[in-house]
Amino acid sequence: MEHGKYRIITLFLAAPLTLYGVFVLSPFAQAFYISLTSWTGFTAAQPFVGLANYRRLASDPGFWKALEHNALLLVAVPLVTIALGLFFASTLNVGASAGTVKGVRGAGPYQKLFFLPHILPAVITAVLWQFLYNPQLGPINSALDAVGLGSLKATWLGDPAVALWSLAAIMVWTGVGFYVVLFSAAMQSIPRDIYEAADLDGSSRFQTMWRITLPLLRETVQVAWIYLGIAALDAFALFEVLLPDGGPDNSTNVVAQYLYQAAFQNGQFGYASAIGVVLCLLTLLMAAATFGLSRRETIEF
Amino acid sequence: MPTVTFDKATRIYPGGTKPAVDALDLDIADGEFLVLVGPSGCGKSTSLRMLAGLEDVNGGAIRIGDRDVTHLPPKDRNIAMVFQNYALYPHMTVADNMGFALKIAGVNKAEIRRKVEEAGKILDLTEYLDRKPKALSGGQRQRVAMGRAIVREPQVFLMDEPLSNLDAKLRVQTRTQIASLQRRLGITTVYVTHDQVEAMTMGDRVAVLKDGLLQQVDTPRNMYDRPANLFVAGFIGSPAMNLVEVPLADGGVKFGESVIPVSRTAVDEAAAAGDRTVTIGVRPEHLDLVGEGDALAKDGGKGLAVTVNVVEELGADGYVYGTAKVGDESKDLVVRVSGRAVPQKGEVLHVVPRSGETHVFSTSSGARLSD
Repeated sequence: MEHGKYRIITLFLAAPLTLYGVFVLSPFAQAFYISLTSWTGFTAAQPFVGLANYRRLASDPGFWKALEHNALLLVAVPLVTIALGLFFASTLNVGASAGTVKGVRGAGPYQKLFFLPHILPAVITAVLWQFLYNPQLGPINSALDAVGLGSLKATWLGDPAVALWSLAAIMVWTGVGFYVVLFSAAMQSIPRDIYEAADLDGSSRFQTMWRITLPLLRETVQVAWIYLGIAALDAFALFEVLLPDGGPDNSTNVVAQYLYQAAFQNGQFGYASAIGVVLCLLTLLMAAATFGLSRRETIEF
Repeated sequence: MPTVTFDKATRIYPGGTKPAVDALDLDIADGEFLVLVGPSGCGKSTSLRMLAGLEDVNGGAIRIGDRDVTHLPPKDRNIAMVFQNYALYPHMTVADNMGFALKIAGVNKAEIRRKVEEAGKILDLTEYLDRKPKALSGGQRQRVAMGRAIVREPQVFLMDEPLSNLDAKLRVQTRTQIASLQRRLGITTVYVTHDQVEAMTMGDRVAVLKDGLLQQVDTPRNMYDRPANLFVAGFIGSPAMNLVEVPLADGGVKFGESVIPVSRTAVDEAAAAGDRTVTIGVRPEHLDLVGEGDALAKDGGKGLAVTVNVVEELGADGYVYGTAKVGDESKDLVVRVSGRAVPQKGEVLHVVPRSGETHVFSTSSGARLSD
């Protein structure tokens, strides 16, 4: 049925493409259009103002402060999450006996334990950590007191110097489990005899990890970096639930929050759309940069 | 003196009842090329890996030279291994692959470069030193794997079926290269294969394993001429030896119409074990064709009548696969004939075993009975 083939293909593609166009592409286009207006979001009027929103954005200190916070998250969260993910994945995978790659005893339950935070909805995580971080009643400060490290206590969400890092820690806590599983899977896909050959060559556990496993994991780490980078730029739910006012001394406001405030508190949908478009472009830029910076030949086994 | 000794080495996989390698006793001399051969699951790869330190040893000991290496980690044993799938590091160039062990050992860069280039020259890899493994053919990757082993200048080479992933022609070519390389370097080598042709052509000695037990270890010639049991007889030599169970008769065994003389001791041994039959082994090339009407053996029989089913013409020889009636049963036999005079399908040939070239095995135990 050669002649009917293309008709069938078009027919089957029509539905998903239409859905994609209407629900994904069209809002993008609409957002871009709205960013060129000064729509309040409450009335029907959408007066066209051209690039005024963008010009305002360029000189808005609130936006730049928020962007600065996102930039800090962008550097810290992927780095720490990936480092911890690799560390835990390697301890769970490079077994004790010579040359074999099998989990240490008890690896199974550990993997499930690590993954648990990832399946919690963001709001639940936020509420959970709100309690954990509570300066008087929370377990963290109480535990520090109990072991005699009371001097390390802090008002985790109230101190401008630590608030952003407290939230970054929550993001890392949520993400590590997923990347432990991802990196474990990638490590297990490395053929076992490469590890055996390294063992015979005299490589210690650490040298094998550093010279063999990590380079072979490069593509997986690249994917992880992009995912975490996007998460860092898009951070919202956690911040909005815990510190909806931007945090102590505006030290935790992130761009997504700023957008939310502009749209729903200040009634400036046009401006908020402009923020959204800029955020989208920055994310694309980050993804492209990550791909471009690590462009090398693919690894084949 | 890097000899290798397996001293009742045993390996039982956790949860298993039967040992994968059962009390293996093997002495390998300095500079010897020993081939471990056997069917799948016989324990040859496991034995090699025990020697390498990649498998635990559950019983017995393994020694390299005078050192007991049974519980030493692989890197302390001063061995090098060539894996079946080469196990090259995909992200490193050929030169880095070959120099990896030296880099780990802390040898300086100039020295590493020198040794890598030397090995590259021996193996004809000089123009590939800066390529990555994925840009190499199978044969080239195999040479890189060998180069990686050579550069280390170990006491023992271990090779785990290195030729299985190569095409037939390349395999023949490479096996000569490996054999001559080993002779030139003089390093004790333990080589595992399932291919008995490789075993016979490459080894100074061959060890046949089955189900974890050592069947026979001997030079290829002796293995071929005097197999120690039924299994070795049927395993070594291609096409396989014809093995026919025949009843004992007065002064020998009844082979179809004729009586083949068999030594008194062999007959006595079989009778002592309570057998009424023995298994006679004759290689295809030791079955002689006889014309009709020739008087043979004492009772004037005409040899065994073989009806031709299939004929394989290989150019220099032809192999006839046929059926013969021995006693009450039909047995399949293989007969080698000259390539110039192959019979047709359906023809009846008369064959008689060449005197002195028959092997007698006990039917019950499989052990060799003739001298």
